[in-house]
Amino acid sequence: MSLSNCYNFDDFRKLAKKKLPAPIFHYIDGGADDEVTMNRNTDSFNECDLIPNILNSVGEPDLKTEVFGTKMDMPIFLSPTAMQSLYHPDGDKASARAAEKFGTIYSMSTMASFSIEEIANLSSGPKIFQLYIHKDQSITNDLIDRCKRANFNGMCITVDTIVAGNRERDHRTGFTTPPKFTLDSLMSFAMRPQWVFNYFTHKKFELANLKDKVDKGTNIAQSVMGYINEQYDPAMNWKDAEYCIKKWDGPIALKGVMSIDDAKRAIDIGCTAIMISNHGGRQLDGSRSPFDQVKAIRDAVGDKLEVILDGGVRRGTHVLKALAAGATACSFGKAFLFSLGAGGQQGVERLLQNMHDEIRRNMILMGCKSIKDLDESKIIYRR
Amino acid sequence: MNLKDCHNFGDFRKLAKKKLPSPIFHYIDGAADDEITYARNTSAFDDVDLVPNVLRGVENVDLSTTIFGKKLDLPFYLAPTALQRLFHYDGERAVGKAAKKFNTMFGVSALATVSVEEISAMIDTPKMFQFYFHKDRGLNDSCLERAKAAKFDVMALTVDTITGGNRERDLRTGFTSPPKLTLSSLFSFATKPMWGINYLTKGKFELPHLQDFVKEGTSTNSSIGSYFSTMLDQSMNWKDAEKLCSQWGGHFALKGIMSVEDAKKAVDIGCTGIMVSNHGGRQLDGSRSPFDQLAEIVDAVGDKLDVICEGGIHRGTHMLKALSLGAKACSGGRLYLYALAAAGQAGVERALNQYKTELQRDMKLMGCTKISDLNRSNLRFRG
Repeated sequence: MSLSNCYNFDDFRKLAKKKLPAPIFHYIDGGADDEVTMNRNTDSFNECDLIPNILNSVGEPDLKTEVFGTKMDMPIFLSPTAMQSLYHPDGDKASARAAEKFGTIYSMSTMASFSIEEIANLSSGPKIFQLYIHKDQSITNDLIDRCKRANFNGMCITVDTIVAGNRERDHRTGFTTPPKFTLDSLMSFAMRPQWVFNYFTHKKFELANLKDKVDKGTNIAQSVMGYINEQYDPAMNWKDAEYCIKKWDGPIALKGVMSIDDAKRAIDIGCTAIMISNHGGRQLDGSRSPFDQVKAIRDAVGDKLEVILDGGVRRGTHVLKALAAGATACSFGKAFLFSLGAGGQQGVERLLQNMHDEIRRNMILMGCKSIKDLDESKIIYRR
Repeated sequence: MNLKDCHNFGDFRKLAKKKLPSPIFHYIDGAADDEITYARNTSAFDDVDLVPNVLRGVENVDLSTTIFGKKLDLPFYLAPTALQRLFHYDGERAVGKAAKKFNTMFGVSALATVSVEEISAMIDTPKMFQFYFHKDRGLNDSCLERAKAAKFDVMALTVDTITGGNRERDLRTGFTSPPKLTLSSLFSFATKPMWGINYLTKGKFELPHLQDFVKEGTSTNSSIGSYFSTMLDQSMNWKDAEKLCSQWGGHFALKGIMSVEDAKKAVDIGCTGIMVSNHGGRQLDGSRSPFDQLAEIVDAVGDKLDVICEGGIHRGTHMLKALSLGAKACSGGRLYLYALAAAGQAGVERALNQYKTELQRDMKLMGCTKISDLNRSNLRFRG
């Protein structure tokens, strides 16, 4: 199996599984508890049907949309994800370059493997920064200031990781960052010598945005979950979010909003967007899927917020359904991480090309000339 | 396993799988993307239950129905499908003769492998010609004139193939027409020697309706997806359909209507029928199933034109459910294609006979003696 055989999510996933040591693969692939929410995120799309219109002389459909004050060539972008260099030595560099090439947003995690400045120098494409609010406010302030200087287009504050989710696969595989070579996992690493070779011959693993501020997470084997629990502020509240929004003073979203009340409150504190997300089913298992919730949230917030659907998106038709139900755009993490693990920048580009082609093809089949043609009349929920 | 072991749809499918080289089998068996819509087309029938009436004196059951002004002995017909001689060397000759024997309508595709003239000379029972709207207007006129001269009863314009669907099985098997013997598919062809011998000895494979106009599909290897995307006119609109309808001057249907709005427009442009269809799930995955959408369409236009439910039908009871909702008739492609591949004309006849026997039995069990006895009081939706 190679990249040229990858046509869909499962193909990229399979290839990534072949290339990545098991603890690392399962860190991407796993969710919280029984992974019920993780599975529902995708399954929920299947309970809603598209209704095409025919004979519309669609021609070449226009896939452009705008979020975070930024034009995008397609209505889906890369979600912020941590530690991308674990999946491919080029990490964030690969995903940022691929996103730029397809005219869509690259999102940088606070826990990225390359720094704000490195990526800003490398890509002039649209970029947003994902902010974790730290206990130490000077870290948070520093991150915001640096993003401003680096001309990031927008920011999102993650609000659903107040405490770490119970990712049982990580307990079993002993996933830590940087990876700890236990007896249990040694076999899996030994079977993938190319990964190990890359890991030791490329830039030392680090959380590039944090290395000057904290020594945790950079030079000791510490699990992500441990990091979240130690560094992030569980007392974080609406005031803290509002403080960051004011300080940033630009397009900004809360990432991880699920309730209608919280969506409304996001308007009040000055957000320009929200990302409806349950963190890919990696935090609160049993929580509602973004697609199940998107219509109710759009109905409640009207046109006062951009609504981004994050979670479970694997297909062009999923994007079409999300937009018809009220989303402004979609984002995806897992899907693109598998493509990154499968083939670095080339892998992400192939995924984005597939996604672009699927959205385009299905827009034509739907009889839609532009994204704004996708409205509630185009979908029917089965129940 | 052989023909006499075939008692239902699944059995014919199994036998076809045994007989056909895998790229050809998967061309029939596959659908778009994740094949969600393909599966739903059939499973939709399981969400509604039949409610029988007893003690009604049902010794004589009349299965006849009238569509497009033609009386058929069965309430279903054989939908037009492309490339039939790939599935069995007799192709349309086998299917046409079987249709005649049961006095039901035979749909002939623009991509048929036997000409309309030959079919017309062979059978005098009702015939439908399925039309693709090509960029080449000369080709369009030729198809229309030939079908008219061959005294076809109905013209059906396919409206859901404005671009090729994403049939991933074909991408993997490298399905093209005529079949290309690549290294990857060679093994599969080599293990089905009878198919290969018949293909090479029983007459040259050709597309008689296209061959004077194009080289695609006849001499060069071309995928069906690329035929749709490159040869068909993507700017096709309602005006074009209306013009064709009047140019034809007889019974005219649109094949691939899913929205109520489009069904109403079909009435306005003079159609006498529509096929509620998503092309067997082979085009827009995630689109609604014909049975799920049938009631709304029948309510809107059922008294103005013939509404045909096409897709997902495996059983006589599926047909009873669709007819109870108000469809004038049912149709299907895989409904008889596996049987064609399994055993040519004898296979199709066996399949048609089984559907007929099932319909007769199930009509009696329902307490109905004629198709018009079926109505919505026969049905309960589970939801």
